[in-house]
Amino acid sequence: MAAVGSRRRGALKGAAAVALMVLCLAAAGCGGGGSSSGSSGSSTTASGTPQQGGTAYFAEGAQAVPNFIFPFMSLAFFSVTNGPQFQQLMYRPLLWFGKGTSPALNPALSLATPPKYSNGNRTVTMTMKPYKFSNGETVTAQDVVFWMNILKVEYTNWAAYAAGGMPDDVKDVTAKGNTITMTLTGPTNPYWFTYNEVSQITPFPMAWDISKTGQKAGGEACGHATYASVTTTKSTSKSGTTVTPTSAAAKSCVAVYTYLSRQSGYDPANPKKTNNSLKTYATNPLWQVVDGPWHLTKFTTNGLAEFKPNPTYSGPVKPKLAAFVELPYTSTGAEFNALVGGKIDVGYLPSEDVTSPARSPLEAGANNPRLSGFALEAWYPWGINYFPYNFNSTGDGGNAGKIFKQLYFRQAFQLLVDQPLYLKKIFKNYGVPTYGPVPVLPKNSFATAEEQSNPYAYNVQKATSLLTSHGWKVVKNGVSTCSDAAKCGVPAGAKLDFTLQYVNNGPAEQQLMQAQVASWAQAGIKISLTTATFDTVIGNATPCPGGCSWELENWGGGWVFSPDYYPSGEELFQTGAGSNSGSYSDKTNDANIKATNFGNATLATYENYLAKNLPVVWQPNQAFQITEARKTLQGVFPQNPLLSINPENWYFTK
Amino acid sequence: MTGYLVRRIGQAIIVVFGVTLLVFLLAHVIPGGAAKAALGPRATAIQIQDFNRTNGYDLPIWHQFYNYCRGLILHFNLGYSYKKNQSVWALIQENLPKTLVLVGISTAFAVIVAVPLGVLQVVRRNKPIDYVLTGASFVGYAMPAFLLGQLLILYFAIDLHWFSTEAPQATTVAGILSDPRGLVLPVFSLAAITIAAFSRYMRSSMMEAMTEDYVRTARAKGAGEGRVLFRHALRNALIPIITLLGLSLPGIVGGALITETVFNYPGMGLLAYNSALNNDVPLLLGTTFVATLATVVGSLLADIFYAIADPRVRYA
Repeated sequence: MAAVGSRRRGALKGAAAVALMVLCLAAAGCGGGGSSSGSSGSSTTASGTPQQGGTAYFAEGAQAVPNFIFPFMSLAFFSVTNGPQFQQLMYRPLLWFGKGTSPALNPALSLATPPKYSNGNRTVTMTMKPYKFSNGETVTAQDVVFWMNILKVEYTNWAAYAAGGMPDDVKDVTAKGNTITMTLTGPTNPYWFTYNEVSQITPFPMAWDISKTGQKAGGEACGHATYASVTTTKSTSKSGTTVTPTSAAAKSCVAVYTYLSRQSGYDPANPKKTNNSLKTYATNPLWQVVDGPWHLTKFTTNGLAEFKPNPTYSGPVKPKLAAFVELPYTSTGAEFNALVGGKIDVGYLPSEDVTSPARSPLEAGANNPRLSGFALEAWYPWGINYFPYNFNSTGDGGNAGKIFKQLYFRQAFQLLVDQPLYLKKIFKNYGVPTYGPVPVLPKNSFATAEEQSNPYAYNVQKATSLLTSHGWKVVKNGVSTCSDAAKCGVPAGAKLDFTLQYVNNGPAEQQLMQAQVASWAQAGIKISLTTATFDTVIGNATPCPGGCSWELENWGGGWVFSPDYYPSGEELFQTGAGSNSGSYSDKTNDANIKATNFGNATLATYENYLAKNLPVVWQPNQAFQITEARKTLQGVFPQNPLLSINPENWYFTK
Repeated sequence: MTGYLVRRIGQAIIVVFGVTLLVFLLAHVIPGGAAKAALGPRATAIQIQDFNRTNGYDLPIWHQFYNYCRGLILHFNLGYSYKKNQSVWALIQENLPKTLVLVGISTAFAVIVAVPLGVLQVVRRNKPIDYVLTGASFVGYAMPAFLLGQLLILYFAIDLHWFSTEAPQATTVAGILSDPRGLVLPVFSLAAITIAAFSRYMRSSMMEAMTEDYVRTARAKGAGEGRVLFRHALRNALIPIITLLGLSLPGIVGGALITETVFNYPGMGLLAYNSALNNDVPLLLGTTFVATLATVVGSLLADIFYAIADPRVRYA
């Protein structure tokens, strides 16, 4: 869009203007005024006096609109759009994570004090702070038990559930006054339990303890029930897992969950049943009971959400804006047009409209000239980017999986991924490298110096030598062949000839993949690229213990650690883990992960081992978005790496 | 005529059934299936099994198709979209009227402009105005919709501030129509290409009509040029346009993907496109069902209006 030249513009203007005038006059008459619905008009400098009031308009991601309000989501609704950028504005999690650009626990914004561990790390204690729900209810320890009760009967419908985690590792939860005590089944790692387990909890108000419309608040038996009284039986068959409630309290919890889910638009008992609850989000009294700084005042099914301040918000930072509006967009191009047209206060710069590279990943470059009234800053998620090898692949004449299991091959393959170059040339420095299982940026205390040093810096010579010394006849820009089975570890005659399917998210992704193919070719590794939709790629990239044909699948997004903020990898790299797409299996790694989950180990041993052992192909991680914020709107930066937004920090200046 | 209609409706039912069956089968061979598409990369094998059981995807495919047809015929239940958290019918109810407004207005506008343009070119055949309009229609016809849309936004919305950068954002027809200024650019963007096509058809059809015997007879009887043009030639020249309009119905119902994307106006086009992209099987089936219905109805209407426009045509 910005590349359209001015001469072309002049030539077309006259002819099109005549025709448009006809339509314009027929429609409404053209005024000279702009169409901006933005709150602050033209841009000014960042300095100025803070103003109370005003409406800030925020651009949602292209075709990423909120569509689930109940803060207990199954995987089908689990998204940044629904969680950190919608529900959390109204319903606060028990613990808040994100301090500036760090993913650390933020006690000041949490509803409870940081967890204290005792009894050999088997007991966790927290004290609730004096927060109120907007209906006057105090946010109590029992509200936490209420959430845990629902989890106990509906964990298969909870997106963040992982076998061995909550509720499997929780023996009991009790509320006494404003103190909540969790008794665990065994010792835990305090970091892991705080960042990956307690992080999931959102206290539920007793107003939600109902199973039918019009029922008195707390009318069901789930909210006030003790955790121990909620009992279930579990059976697993070929067709899935069934959790059957056995006690009256457990049955009540199922009824409450079903009702709240229906009020959010999804009927877990009968998904095909017509349900128009989405339209009622802003009017349903249930969803107006909030403990966050905002409540919903308007919601349309196409994704427009308007929030106004919760006047009884108990947190330390009260909203200064009069309203906050999230706007839906069909494409990044449409969003850019709206940004330039002045309709948005906080949006994003599509990568194709970046006109100057960033000075470094943490220091943005010059803005697009059309957006001089905006400040820009890259927003990096708390995540890593990679794509899996299929260690059980039957591709490449049955040899692909066997070749991927050879560490020397993975080392050679990784040595040919020139991340710093790709970041600079393709992502214009709006990206960060991935060198291991822990994010290197945003800056954090978990990434070790060893991982940050990039154990496999780009080196064609070294990659070629590794293959040659392991019995491969390397054919530059051709297909290398194994000539010595004993050294290769795979049958003689096996070829380095693989297929990589990726999601073509745009020119940058395409350039990245083509550059990598050219790089791998230098060591005689032939990669044939195919493209598919995101859903097809993740559909293919499924663990297959018995073997299957896919070789390399790249969905482009890697992994974002949320709400499991501790990057300990049990969901990704542990043997048999659900999201271990390539079926990586290593006993040392399994032991390392176990030590970070249930022992006292830090992440260092685990991450240093995997950074070198290469369970996947590490690749550069593009910024989540390059945020544009109107200069007269302050408080937008720094951005939370867990991708939540805090418009209560925002204010307009004169 | 009644017998003809009954036969055509029978054929239409077979076509709709056939297309639905085909799409149903194709949608079920996509890798990963609906479960992985709905649950995302974090889904474990157990969660996928649970999803399939809850939604009946664990049943044999013929049983799934039977359930789908049963729900459709007995309850007009088109299923539920996990991606949108709404029933498919609710999504169609919301998006179809929006699309009908946008594409309907642009098609009507295109006909209103294209027919006189075609006639004018015949009247001024081989004169400068004919050359200019022919050149303009070729440019319009060759212009990619996204480029035209972007250029219109750039000049008339961003530079001149005459219009909004996006189409009306209301979710109801009344709300959309209450913002006519917002409709100008998307309607013009869509209409420009249609005008180019229709005016070419109109020109050639009118030229042909002007050489017919009945035109010569009318002139011999002393009819004025205006009467010859509008009373005798135009009615016959409109027949191809009627056929084109009938065949445009699937497009009117199916939406205008590119225009919807550029002007931030989610309608049927974007809905259908995303359902295919996201492996959203119920939504894909629902949008295909509606588009198929529109195709057979459009074709039927074209035949009926053809008979009305040309009394020589009789269906038995």
